[in-house]
Amino acid sequence: MTKEDILEKIKPVFVEVLEHENFNLNETSTTDDVDGWGSLTHMIIIEKIEEKFNIKFKLLDLMNMENIGDLVKAIQSNISSI
Amino acid sequence: MKYICNLHKSIESHYNNNAFYIDNTFYTYEDLTLEISKIRLVISNSVNDNIKQIGLITHDDLQTYAAIIAFWLEGKTYIPINPDHPLDRNLEILNSLETSFIFDSIGNANFPNFKTISTLKTKKVAVNLVPKTVSSSDIAYILFTSGSTGKPKGVPISYSNLNAFIEAINHDNEFKLFASDKCLQMFELTFDFSVVSYIFPLLTGACVYTVPRNSIKYFYIYKLIKTHKLTVLSLVPSIIHYLKPYFDEIYASEVRYCSFGGGALYNDIIEDWNKCIPNATSFNYYGPTENTIYSSYYKLNKHANSNITHNGVISIGKPLNNITYIIIDKDKNEVDIGNSGELALSSKQLTPGYWKNKTKNQDSFFTKLIDSKPIRFYKTGDLCYIDSSNNYMYLGRIDFQVKIRGFRIELPEVEYHAKSHCHKKLNMVAIDIINTLGNAELALAIESEPFNPVEIINNMKAKMPEYMVPMHVQFIKEFPYNTNGKIDRKKIRSYFNIK
Repeated sequence: MTKEDILEKIKPVFVEVLEHENFNLNETSTTDDVDGWGSLTHMIIIEKIEEKFNIKFKLLDLMNMENIGDLVKAIQSNISSI
Repeated sequence: MKYICNLHKSIESHYNNNAFYIDNTFYTYEDLTLEISKIRLVISNSVNDNIKQIGLITHDDLQTYAAIIAFWLEGKTYIPINPDHPLDRNLEILNSLETSFIFDSIGNANFPNFKTISTLKTKKVAVNLVPKTVSSSDIAYILFTSGSTGKPKGVPISYSNLNAFIEAINHDNEFKLFASDKCLQMFELTFDFSVVSYIFPLLTGACVYTVPRNSIKYFYIYKLIKTHKLTVLSLVPSIIHYLKPYFDEIYASEVRYCSFGGGALYNDIIEDWNKCIPNATSFNYYGPTENTIYSSYYKLNKHANSNITHNGVISIGKPLNNITYIIIDKDKNEVDIGNSGELALSSKQLTPGYWKNKTKNQDSFFTKLIDSKPIRFYKTGDLCYIDSSNNYMYLGRIDFQVKIRGFRIELPEVEYHAKSHCHKKLNMVAIDIINTLGNAELALAIESEPFNPVEIINNMKAKMPEYMVPMHVQFIKEFPYNTNGKIDRKKIRSYFNIK
């Protein structure tokens, strides 16, 4: 799956959890750029992404996630390891 | 003041140690000294001796921490101002103070009628760590917490309050740091647990590891623990609730101490968390800001099933050695042992009183004869009882104050700002709801047919810090009432379906 495919698939998760669409998601987006993306919503987003891609992140993946690019990479490496 | 002299000595004798790790950079005590000296020079050049208070814009950088120490060495008071909080609220706080000075390490604070001071650009200044003489009633800091009338309440803590607190912790010899310790500082400087998180490390020459404001805190904290092998943790319980799904990946054998505070600590999660930090001694701390950070603590047992609990919540233990706890009824009479009532306390750590708030001071403080001596007590608003082993149990708030992510919130203040900009006069109730992670979330119920609440939410965002803005809104055609004719908050809770 390409980065673009993954980005396209995760955007609806953000919309659903954050209950708004006023943001663009690209590889450099961080919690600063997206309204409502914080400690609690991050946890819910992670759970939903795990469900959607049928993967389970490791804490090591999660602790190094600083932007959407890191999230996409973590999804890619988890998919390829299945 | 003893603790300030000790800070001076500690900084001087640990020059080559790391003092802070902030945003991927280490700073030594020598770096800290240079910043302190520069800021002292700025203060003595621009702030009159008779001006004691200085607002402090809280950035996650060395200069902001150095400013706190510099203010104390100069005998000044710091009033932390979170730059992410709404301008109106920050202005309300600043305008209530007796100062026109704000320290902003970045130098871009722009408050009308306030003069912003910053550190010097020069690389070298003469070292200046010798404290000025202060009187014991001088104020070390003022923290503003949520107030029920829509106005924030200021809690001044004197130098002698803070000194008494440090002496009380040291007196018990249970929490003893070394210069080699690596200590977590996860708290906003507007929250008093930040003070313990930096002051004990600095008093021993240890290193403080800070957490950036906009990070996903629980993952950032884990990263610090894992990468830097932290040895001392001070946490709000919600951090371990968030980390719970990953406990089997966490093994931090270097952690020596783990302190909890700022919310109910559940024994079942502690049982699992203990396996992640097998060598740590853990404490459950309790204390209102008014009585300088911690008032009592319970030392957790290695085996969680030996901990003293009530409904699964761990005891808040016994008061520190300079503190007296009593449990009182509505008429301020002590209740019989084992009965619940409001916790009141007296101590050397007790604030001289709310900042310019006569009504609140009359409500919250009272004098009681103990052994025929008049003693000043503070009513905590917390419902407690004492068990047969003399350990105190926390049952909840007696009024409508709740804690969200460790922040104390008066629900009437949230309701006040929710109602103030609504197009119609509507009944609204703010409540706290415990989600499946065991953390409290803020919710707002509106008695009305559904409509788009964006205007209400935006107004709340403009008037209150983000943690006070409800995350959930539910419309209820008619509010349920209990037999006393009061809105049934418990039933309202059941209308929210929060996971």
